[in-house]
Amino acid sequence: MSNTPNDPMAFFRQMVSQWEKVTNEFGGKVASSSEFAQGMQGMTTASLTVQQAVSEATGKALTAANMPTRADMIAIGERLGAVEAQLTRIETLLTKTNAPPTIGPKRTRKPPPK
Amino acid sequence: MSEANPLETARVEFERTLQRGAKGLAYLTAPPPALGISPKKTVLSKGTMQLYHYTQPSDEVYRVPILLVMATTNRGYIFDMVPGQSFVEFLINRGYDVFMLDWDAPRADEKNLGIDDYVLDFIPASIAKVAEISGESDVSIVGYCFGGVLSLLWAALNPDSPMKNLATFTTPVNFKAMEMFQAWADQRFFDVDRLTDTFGNCPAEMLYSAFDMLRPAAKLAGNIRLLDNLWDDEFVNSHRMFDRWATDMLPLAGRYFRETTKQLMWDNALYEGRMEIAGRKVDLGAIKAPFFHAVAEHDHIIPSAASQPLVQMIGSKDKQEVVLKGGHVSLIAGGNAVKRLWPQLDLWLQDRSL
Repeated sequence: MSNTPNDPMAFFRQMVSQWEKVTNEFGGKVASSSEFAQGMQGMTTASLTVQQAVSEATGKALTAANMPTRADMIAIGERLGAVEAQLTRIETLLTKTNAPPTIGPKRTRKPPPK
Repeated sequence: MSEANPLETARVEFERTLQRGAKGLAYLTAPPPALGISPKKTVLSKGTMQLYHYTQPSDEVYRVPILLVMATTNRGYIFDMVPGQSFVEFLINRGYDVFMLDWDAPRADEKNLGIDDYVLDFIPASIAKVAEISGESDVSIVGYCFGGVLSLLWAALNPDSPMKNLATFTTPVNFKAMEMFQAWADQRFFDVDRLTDTFGNCPAEMLYSAFDMLRPAAKLAGNIRLLDNLWDDEFVNSHRMFDRWATDMLPLAGRYFRETTKQLMWDNALYEGRMEIAGRKVDLGAIKAPFFHAVAEHDHIIPSAASQPLVQMIGSKDKQEVVLKGGHVSLIAGGNAVKRLWPQLDLWLQDRSL
C-alpha cells in the first residue's frame, strides 16, 4: 500500500485508522461501565421473556394440534444420537477386526543440527 | 518508500480503482474460501467432539505425537487455514504426527454437557485414541485460548498422565482481568441460569456479538480497508479467510456456559485455587511437564493481565513464557504466526519430542 506524500488515499487511510482507534477506546470505556452492562442485560432479559412466552405458546398450540413440539424433537434427536453413537462403536469394532494392521511412519526423527 | 512522481501515483491509483470495481464483483459472487483442507481422518467422534488425525506423508516422525485442543467457541480450521498458512501443515512438514480435538455445535440434547464432560471424558478419550493410533503413550498437548484452559484442567487433575509437554496459546487464568467480559457478565445483571434455561445452549450469535463489541469499530474499519485493498488479491484472500473463521462461531453447551460463567467469570476459581471438577480440586501447581505459554502483545480478548500469571502458577521446572507481537488470532494464524509463533514452538518441541 502506498503512503507517500503524493498518495491521494494516504490521508483517508490515516483518518480511518485514527477513527477506529478512538471509537474502540471510547466504545470500550462505555461498554465496560455498569450502566451499559445493566442496559445490555436488560435487553437480553426482555428478549428471553419474549422467547419463553413464544416458546410456551407454540408448545401449547402444537400439542393441541397433536403435533410434535420442540421438546419432542429434541428427545427424538437424543435417541437418534444414541443410536448413531452405538453404530459408530460397532463400526469401529468391525473395522478393527477386519482391517489389516497399518504400519505408520518410523518414530525416530531427530531435530536438525543447530 | 521514496517520494513518488504524482503522475505515476495517479496512474497507479486509477488502475487500482478499476481493479477494485472488477474484483469487487468477483468478491461478491465468489464462494467462501475452502479452509481446513489438509488431508485427515476423523478417528473419534462423540457428539460435539471430533478427533482428527492428519495424514503424514513422511516416513519418519518425532516419537511424541501432538494433540491440538481447539477453543470451544470456534472452529478448529484456524489451525489449518490454507496451504502455506496452515499450522497443521507446518507441523507435519517439520516431522510431527498431528491430531486435533475439534468441536461441532452442541446439539439441543447436549445442553447438559459440563466442564467435567470436556475435561474428564473428551480429552482423556482423545488421548487414549492418540496412544492407540500412534502406539506411543506420550503426547504433547497444545491448547488454544479456552482449549488451553481445558488442557490445563485435565493436566492438573492427571499429574501422572502420559503428557510429555504442554503448550498453551493466549490462555486466560485470571478471569477478573478480562474487564469487558467481566462488566457484561456482572452477577447483578446477568441471569445466566435464565439464559440457559430458555435457550438450552448459549447461542453462537450472542457470543459473536460479545466478541464484536470488544472492538466496536473494527468491523466497519475492516470493511473500509477491504474496499481500499480490493485490488490486492493477497489482502482480499486473507480478509475472507479470517472473516469466515471469525463469524463461524459455535454455541456453547448450556451447563458448560453456566459453569464457566459462575466458576471462572464470577468466582475466578481457577486463579484463586478454588476450582473443582466433579468434586476434585484443581491445582495448577501439580502440572510438572515442560510448559510453554505464548501471549499476544495486543490481545484484545485475553489481555496479558489475564494470561500472564499462568506460568507462575504451573508447577513445572521447565517452563517458558513468550510474549509475541500480534493479536488473539494473528498470534496463531496468518503471516505473523508463520514468522513468529510457529518456529518458536517447533524449536521448543523438537528436543522434547524424542
